[in-house]
Amino acid sequence: MPPGLTDGVLLLLSFFVPFLLLVFGFPPYLRLLTKKGRVSNDAHKNPPTKVVEPAGPMLFLGALVGEFVVAVGFHSWVPVAIMFGTGVAFIVGLYDDLYVLGGKTKPLLLVLAGLAFVSLVIFKANLYQSVLTFPILGDTSPHFTIYTILAIAAFPVVTNAFNMMDAFNGEISWFTLLTSLALLLGLVLRELYTTGFSLARVASALPLVAAAAAFLIFNRYPSRAFDGDSGSLTFGAMFAAIAITGGVEIAAMIAIVPAILNSFYTLSSVRGFVERRSMPTRPTYIGKDGLLYASTEKEAPNTLIRLILLAGPLSERDLVKDIIYLTILTCIFSAAISVLTWVF
Amino acid sequence: MKLAPLFIIEATAFLLIIAETYFFFNFVVPLGPIPHTLTEYTGLALLKVVLIFGLAFFWFVVMIGMTRLYVRSRVGISPKPSS
Repeated sequence: MPPGLTDGVLLLLSFFVPFLLLVFGFPPYLRLLTKKGRVSNDAHKNPPTKVVEPAGPMLFLGALVGEFVVAVGFHSWVPVAIMFGTGVAFIVGLYDDLYVLGGKTKPLLLVLAGLAFVSLVIFKANLYQSVLTFPILGDTSPHFTIYTILAIAAFPVVTNAFNMMDAFNGEISWFTLLTSLALLLGLVLRELYTTGFSLARVASALPLVAAAAAFLIFNRYPSRAFDGDSGSLTFGAMFAAIAITGGVEIAAMIAIVPAILNSFYTLSSVRGFVERRSMPTRPTYIGKDGLLYASTEKEAPNTLIRLILLAGPLSERDLVKDIIYLTILTCIFSAAISVLTWVF
Repeated sequence: MKLAPLFIIEATAFLLIIAETYFFFNFVVPLGPIPHTLTEYTGLALLKVVLIFGLAFFWFVVMIGMTRLYVRSRVGISPKPSS
């Protein structure tokens, strides 16, 4: 059903409150971080430049305020559950930004985000439905236990996948913006073409879109801010939680295929969870011409970036463009899945 | 066009994810008891475990196979910076 006037205003507020908060909040926040010396090397510049990090706390604040608007405006528990799981992921990310967690410790701690999220089913049984809806074929039968286990597992998987897409100027912000728009499309179609689907579940995706769009202004090439692990894990956890509560898991999974492939390539080539700083061989390197090259060493990990660069060296800006094209393709697949699932 | 092989890998991953998730939820999960339950359904439970790992293994094999083909075709021609 299309939303009424009040709902329309609430939807606008759910987007613009976090968006404007971040657009106007970032400059003073970045100045504060600079004053405190919180800058890191942009390793893909020759010579390296200094960029402010982490922007994650500001992103989390913006998302939190946005979800608060949704929770109050629509009297819904959904944003509470989303931010409960996201909050745990944010804390893990912030700890990693400040003290650096081990390659295995981080995914293990991120299971806690999944547990925090599903624990709210105790208070609100209809937080998520334990079925998956497939295009044309329809719903699977409900399987609460297996679905809940998969929902918990989704948090470390998706958050790590987002974290691994956070290597170049603008990469994470473009990736999150495009995939969250694909997610939003699925939710909107579900709202328009099915009955009994709460508008709050659609609105809860808007703060994520707003945060990604606002961050893009500061993160695009040449970056003025890096999100840090606190930011990328916040984005990933929100994405997972919104997909689960909105029942658009299939479309969400398809949208993030570049990130899934990237994690899969990395994990399978380094054979396990290894912190990127302790990888024995780098997948890429910067040439004297300032371009990025794929490492041709046999033991170099097969990241998505290396696969792109194997076709030829690229500037950082062109490399991010290629990642955007790969993401647009999967977002088109995701949109097709959403149309086939909810419209037909 | 240089991204075409990666587009094909993505499309394959997309189709496999859809097909395998559907097979998993509609055929593997309803097969019988939870795998660790030792009952008269042990055979079904074992089959379930084998199918779960089989699905994951199949996805891994296809993805690794396609990636290796791609890397092998590119490594020889990938340019190095002039020093």
